[in-house]
Amino acid sequence: MKFLTLILRSLFRSRRRTVLTVASLAVSVFLIAMLQSLLGTMDALTTSAGSGTRFVVQDKASFTNVIPLAYANFLRQQPEIEQYTAFQWFGGEYQDPKNFFANFAVDPETYLNVYREEANLPSIPVEQVRDFLRDGNGCIVGQTLADRFGWKLGDVVPLRSPIFNLTVRLNIRIIFKGKRNSDETFLAFNIKQLQEAVPWMKGRVGAFTVRARNPADIPKLCERIDRHFANSAQETLSITENAFNLNMMKMLGDYSTMFHSISAAVLVAILIVTANTMAMAIRERTTQISTMRALGFTSGRILSLLMAEGLLLSLLGSGLGILMALGAADVAAKQGGALLPWLADFIITPETLLLCVLLTLGLGLLSTFIPAYRASRRPIIDGLRAL
Amino acid sequence: MIWYLFLPLAPYLLWLLWAAAVHPIPLSYNWRSIWQRWAGTLSTVGAIAIVVMVFVVVLSMAQGVSKAYVRSGRDDQVVLLRQNARVEMMSSLDLGQARLVATHPRIAWDDVGPLATADIIVSKQVALSDGSGSLSVTVRGTTPAGIRLRSQVRILRGRWFLPGMSEAVVPEKMLNRYTGVELGRSFPMAGRTWQVVGVFDGDGSVFDSEIWTDVADLRQAFHRYGTDSSMTVRLRDAGDVPGFIRDMAQDVRLKLEAKAEPDYFLELGDAGRPVQILGQIITLILTVGAVFAAMNTMYATVAGRTAEIGTLRALGFRRREILASFQWEAILLTALGGLLGAGLSRLFNGIHSGTVNMNTWSDVSYAFAVTPELMLQGVAFSILMGVAGGFLPAWRASRIPVTEAMRG
Repeated sequence: MKFLTLILRSLFRSRRRTVLTVASLAVSVFLIAMLQSLLGTMDALTTSAGSGTRFVVQDKASFTNVIPLAYANFLRQQPEIEQYTAFQWFGGEYQDPKNFFANFAVDPETYLNVYREEANLPSIPVEQVRDFLRDGNGCIVGQTLADRFGWKLGDVVPLRSPIFNLTVRLNIRIIFKGKRNSDETFLAFNIKQLQEAVPWMKGRVGAFTVRARNPADIPKLCERIDRHFANSAQETLSITENAFNLNMMKMLGDYSTMFHSISAAVLVAILIVTANTMAMAIRERTTQISTMRALGFTSGRILSLLMAEGLLLSLLGSGLGILMALGAADVAAKQGGALLPWLADFIITPETLLLCVLLTLGLGLLSTFIPAYRASRRPIIDGLRAL
Repeated sequence: MIWYLFLPLAPYLLWLLWAAAVHPIPLSYNWRSIWQRWAGTLSTVGAIAIVVMVFVVVLSMAQGVSKAYVRSGRDDQVVLLRQNARVEMMSSLDLGQARLVATHPRIAWDDVGPLATADIIVSKQVALSDGSGSLSVTVRGTTPAGIRLRSQVRILRGRWFLPGMSEAVVPEKMLNRYTGVELGRSFPMAGRTWQVVGVFDGDGSVFDSEIWTDVADLRQAFHRYGTDSSMTVRLRDAGDVPGFIRDMAQDVRLKLEAKAEPDYFLELGDAGRPVQILGQIITLILTVGAVFAAMNTMYATVAGRTAEIGTLRALGFRRREILASFQWEAILLTALGGLLGAGLSRLFNGIHSGTVNMNTWSDVSYAFAVTPELMLQGVAFSILMGVAGGFLPAWRASRIPVTEAMRG
């Protein structure tokens, strides 16, 4: 610790160079932290609260196909199933196709029950629930979504779906606050509207979400359901909700490879930038280092002093980068959440923080070692000759 | 879009060019100087090469997606969809409408008949070959006319499907990423077993992401009696397109929306947008870092050559000539990185990947398209970094007093 002042002094010997290097490191670490957190956020989506007890029963050939509502009869007979609900992706557009948000046609009563954690059911006033169940045109929207368009209870929301060539006019009956912001970015309304208006939706649904009494029963249930409908006109595919979400994410493309490759490339870039700075800083001080050794500093001590300087430099850079990332994550969650629903959940995960710190430590050590080692082993007389 | 960034800098860059042309500090001096501090130079070149590479490669992904769509359309072809349906999968039209459209006098004929096809589009989950699950893939039921219409599609191995046999053909490019649909294998769909009898090549178009089969077979399997998804027709001449679209809009029996094929595919090409925006954000952040690094190297260069600068001044070179000289040195340095990065990015050309089209929820495969245009943009970008990172150090170099500089 007694050498801290010395290390700091040497680090800021050339203030401009240090500041530029720290800034360069900071933006790079910022980028790595953001990319890794984005991946973390995507992963987190697939493990949402309560989804462990749920699974989805969909058409085997494609989740865009509809399956008979009558399949529910079989679900009803399974003792391990607590409740199931039917839903259909509506794909409705509000005013402009660019105002994208998720909206579903659902069976209102069972829906609220199956998703009671996400919708935070106990917190919804009883009269709102009653209105939603009574009103055939009623809909339920999340707080974040309502804020985005300035909707209030009782407002009428027209949604036009290009899939069904149908426009529904919905009355907002419930605005709920979920456990997490990301749960509040969708709209759901009574599936009867769809089944009455679209002939081929009569008696059909997109998929069932099933809530099991015990998560341990899910594999057994999935297997039993799929076996029951095997060799029927429409076979089913039952997968856990996590697997369902993961599939959706995977469709976006191989983002994880892309982000990891970019992170790795950036890491190499900052490694050479830092190494260059440290090499410059050490080369400049050849005389100084030799003088110190002449005064009795051992080469091991010199090495550790220089290494500490490199570490401090990279820690400063990554610290700043992480601070920037934390700030930006907040903005991204607030602003970006309105555009991309899942961004609302964006945080810099602790794993990412740890990763960044570890990477920087490695970076600091790796980049400084060679110039520092050479400087510490250099014959004193060579270094003093320049005097 | 990068070219717009050059606009505000244009006067400065022109001055630099002029200075290089008439002023007497030759660029070869800068070139030699760069290599004097080769460690610093290489590190900067390396860092900038990486930034430029990331820039070019990420944008090449977006380029690849839109290229897949642009390649799919022909100027003289028109797609007909149900009103308000944005994509074929959402659309529906009945056979009566299809028959009516096919009688239009402007539709081109070949030896066999009118070049008009009514297709059915469905989707199917196909397992990924890396075992990580399955993705939704488009399945197109089409007709012999539909095959003749899409002239870029050629059969590579096996043969085309026969009607009534539940046969399918798959694109060659799909076989890289998916399994279970290889030639000779069969797969279940809608309660039937479909035999893969051929492998085709779609020449980089979106058809490279589709499994094709006979429309009547698909109609039966999916119980879509009398309703197909969409129609595609070829007209006698590309000039007929506006007139044909007008006729379709005016025919009250049809209630269909006709779009020129290039327009239709252009709208769908938006699938590459998210990658493009992401790439631009990432590059912007990285650039800031790279500019700082370049600045660092240039400051070190200036500091190390104080005596040289003094000598130059004493020889009679003026301040602005010193400024131009060091600015050129910075640009040389970063452009070197840019060239290296653009060269390296070329290695990624042609890599196959896929993304979802948000309109159809099905997978679109594309190839990274590292075009010369993109590589040029990467180099231009590195030049901008040189201007940004080199200006302050060069300015400083030009301001060092002669006496101080001579002292070293």
